[in-house]
Amino acid sequence: MTMKNIFFPIYQLGNPQLRIFRPNWFLTLVRPGKEQPPDTVQFRVPMEMTKYDVKNYLEKIYNVPVGVVRTRIQFGSNKKRNHLNQKVKKPDYKVAYVQLAQGQTFTFPDLFPDKTQAPTEGSMEEMQNKFMEDEKQRQKLDPRRGGVTEWFGL
Amino acid sequence: MATRCKLPLLFPKSLFKNQRFVHTEAAVTPPAYPPVVASLTAKSKSARLRQIDEQVQKICAAPVEEKLSLITRIQRKKFVVYPQTFARNADRWYQHFTKTAYIPGLPEKFSLGTGEGNSPSPADQTEIPGIDGDAFAEIRALVTRVILQQHWHMHKKRRPGVYNHQQQVMAPFLKNLVTELAYTVAKHNPLLLSSSLDFGPQVNFYWRRGQRIIPKGHRKGRLEPVRFQIDDSPNSQIRVTQQLPQFCPMEASYTADVPVVLHAPNLMPLFRRQYDNNIFTGAKLPDPACYGHTQFHLVPDRYHRDRMVKLQCPEQVEIFLRSNAIASLFCWTGAQAAYQGFWSYEDVCRPFVSQAVITDGHFFSFFCYQLNTVALSVETDANNPRKNLLWGSQSQRLFQTVQDGEVVGLNDGVIKLLVQFLMNRP
Repeated sequence: MTMKNIFFPIYQLGNPQLRIFRPNWFLTLVRPGKEQPPDTVQFRVPMEMTKYDVKNYLEKIYNVPVGVVRTRIQFGSNKKRNHLNQKVKKPDYKVAYVQLAQGQTFTFPDLFPDKTQAPTEGSMEEMQNKFMEDEKQRQKLDPRRGGVTEWFGL
Repeated sequence: MATRCKLPLLFPKSLFKNQRFVHTEAAVTPPAYPPVVASLTAKSKSARLRQIDEQVQKICAAPVEEKLSLITRIQRKKFVVYPQTFARNADRWYQHFTKTAYIPGLPEKFSLGTGEGNSPSPADQTEIPGIDGDAFAEIRALVTRVILQQHWHMHKKRRPGVYNHQQQVMAPFLKNLVTELAYTVAKHNPLLLSSSLDFGPQVNFYWRRGQRIIPKGHRKGRLEPVRFQIDDSPNSQIRVTQQLPQFCPMEASYTADVPVVLHAPNLMPLFRRQYDNNIFTGAKLPDPACYGHTQFHLVPDRYHRDRMVKLQCPEQVEIFLRSNAIASLFCWTGAQAAYQGFWSYEDVCRPFVSQAVITDGHFFSFFCYQLNTVALSVETDANNPRKNLLWGSQSQRLFQTVQDGEVVGLNDGVIKLLVQFLMNRP
């Protein structure tokens, strides 16, 4: 069954097991705002997904051993107003906290590490940096004057 | 001559005054002014400290009933700790909340007999002091009778539905087993003659551990202690008039290892509520049987090991049993200590010991708990080297099946441990 334009049929005793192939749902792994225990991973999931959907999704598609999933819906504020004084709604979203099984842990990686690499020898950047530094040095006053300006004196 | 003495012009009278008191004892003169202490009503930190100090002194000076009511007077939001919890890896969190170290295996007092096969070997029977071979055979027959009564002879018209099996079938079985065993072992253990056997008692305890910064509200930014409450209801428990002997000296717990969890308890998940703070052992304060002996807990259907296996988390079975033991036994021993007047600022001077058996009807697990410290709040735990100890065994089957009116595969080791637990006395 594809995901297009179907509404979930209500399950009644005797119905076949509902199976979804090629789900149209996409999970987003996010960095937790508050510190979470090491075995907990935080996702933003579509509103239509349930805890069991999230668990099956991760287990079947990504082979992630999932212990238990807890979800909550985050209300997006409707308080901000635009330049026409109309209320602007931030969309609601569902957050899933997934606890991993088999003692696995996960820490959200540092996506934007500080880059402090020195420019390579003989390249344009290095010569430009050196030139800028020399210029700045020339603009500075004589250090023996102790910060006094050159307006006075000879 | 006057000039040679080098005395001053005006003859000082203090010369004789000082000599007057040289050979007498240092007389204690009462202070002329009251001691300089911080104010009690000012809006300052020292005033707050003095208020807290006065309250602590007041509680220490009060008799036990008033002490309990003063400690549990003010209602605030607190974490409700459930001994039987669905949370994963709950035993590490509970160990941190109660400052308990887990020691796998039971103390040397209780030899873990493997007890394979139906026929008991003579060597096993003589190991229990006070119970000889005949008495053990009698107890064995008794256990067989109880099992057969519930699983073979009992015919209920209505078969238990989904999630009713443990409550309908195993709870009466455990109740019968405990009653029969307690009355039989009482012949050999005089402590049980003056004991009290409760069914479905309420056991509650309230304590504070750690602190947090209040994130929002009119008290934002201030420090607040984190409060916990356990409300437990075991299947049955035995309360006695004398304290059980300690398993190991308090100093031995100094080197024990307690896991520290830095995260807030609500991430476990654990939820906060505000209601009456209760401290209760199962009976009110004037009851003479104020010390605990053994508790018996039943594993409900929701946490049955078959269901855990079906949900693909078999390792959580043992974790559930351990966390149940930690929470229930800490609650019971803490309440016993509170009944004797020990609380956070007056730590226990002798260890409080209790035992528990947690079962789901087929598998039995045995736990022994020693409460060495009840001083768990931030100020009192700063230099407290003592830790509470929990010994626990792996779960073992009592019997395999019941076929044609016969119990197949009765495990003598489990019966021996049960009897040893009930025979424990000072």
